[in-house]
Amino acid sequence: MADALSRFDGKTAVITGGGGGIGAAIAARLHREGARVAVLDRDVSALPTGARWYLHEGDFLAEGAPEAFHAAVVRDFGPVDILINNLGQSGRERAAPFHRSQEEVWRFVMEISLFSAMRMSRLCAADLQARGGRIINMSSLAAFAGNPGLTDYAAAKMGLIGFTRSLAREMAPHGVTVNALAPGAIRTAAHAAMPPEIIADIIAKTPVGFVGEPEDVAAAAAFLASSEARYITGQTLLIDGGNWML
Amino acid sequence: MVAGGAQGIGLAIVLRLRAAGAKVGVIDLAGPALSALPGDVTALAADITDTAALAAAGAEIAASLGGVDGLVNSAGIDLVAPLSDITDDAWERIIAVNLTGAMKLARAFEPSLRASGCAAIVNLSSGAGLVPLKHRSAYSASKAGLQMFSKSLAMELAEAGIRVNCVCPGAVETPLFRASISGGEDEAAQLQAVRARYALQRIAAPDEIAAAILWLLSDEASYVTGVALAVDGGRTFH
Repeated sequence: MADALSRFDGKTAVITGGGGGIGAAIAARLHREGARVAVLDRDVSALPTGARWYLHEGDFLAEGAPEAFHAAVVRDFGPVDILINNLGQSGRERAAPFHRSQEEVWRFVMEISLFSAMRMSRLCAADLQARGGRIINMSSLAAFAGNPGLTDYAAAKMGLIGFTRSLAREMAPHGVTVNALAPGAIRTAAHAAMPPEIIADIIAKTPVGFVGEPEDVAAAAAFLASSEARYITGQTLLIDGGNWML
Repeated sequence: MVAGGAQGIGLAIVLRLRAAGAKVGVIDLAGPALSALPGDVTALAADITDTAALAAAGAEIAASLGGVDGLVNSAGIDLVAPLSDITDDAWERIIAVNLTGAMKLARAFEPSLRASGCAAIVNLSSGAGLVPLKHRSAYSASKAGLQMFSKSLAMELAEAGIRVNCVCPGAVETPLFRASISGGEDEAAQLQAVRARYALQRIAAPDEIAAAILWLLSDEASYVTGVALAVDGGRTFH
């Protein structure tokens, strides 16, 4: 499949929060298929360096950080063809029963999981429209299933789905597709930090009977980013081993 | 193995599977389209409502191809009619082809798919199975039923390493679609009205649906099961 390995030759891909886990797997996948890949994350030390990589270490929420990142990408790699709004985080370490949840934590989760997608998409919109690009937003099974103590995270991740649908309609006349991915249990650092009994419970509820790998999500992202998926827009694809079956 | 692979979306997936290096079997109704398939395709005439014919075809195709790792069901018929015009026969026919046929097909090929150990089924549902279409009560019901059949089967067959998913196209440039709009008073206006329902403002080519089916069949989608993926240019926003 020589063709498949050069699907993104000459394309510029931006991945927010791509320093590890799912984002890093997507970055590696798009790079392997020929894309110039730019990543913004607080820690990018786990990523390879070299040709067609642009690693930008920083906090997306810092004043001016997305703008500086975007300007550097355009300067070095040219206009953006593929935007992966992967950045997102729950306030899990500060998670609380809803009646005791703090607005400060809500704001943080919204900023990093929802507003980040809005900001990066707005920065890239003109280029994407001029080039018939792709936007892929990282939602979550948590948006559908809900988890106690994570009302903020579920709201942000479901918000991304509404954002995806509305933006898909707006961008469609320009040949831009906008879709969302909703991973279930995937083997990442956040997943590994969960108590073993919760992981066992998740596996028991997952028909395929195992936890997915970041590469499973990357394969879906590569498909949606490719010309193979040019007639798919506004959709949310669950990669969850059959957990939800929406 | 592609049921309904002689024309339309089914034919597009047959051609894509061949190009990707697969050995391909086809079941479809006897006719010129089935006879015109490339010589390296194992093509058998069988009606998807015919239990005995499917069982025979299942065995013959599994033997001829040396096993079956992927099953696509794209056999389907349409019915556009207000409730009062739906005859019992017409209702039973569409359910028999679009819904019961999918069950019979999966049942006929289950042993081969289990033997594979890493297999996938893709059923062709429809956007009409996600959101209703007027005067398509029978069609919408059959396609929505097909989705829930697929999801339940996904749970059942997961332990055998078999994934089951649906693809839900909107309007696709196929003989079935053409037949549904021809004969109207103003075909061009009808076409324009259909296009206007899609964010991308156009009707799909069969190959664009086939691309998604091929992806779901492939190992690239190894953690995807029980989904109904809309490939509809932005209509249903599922």
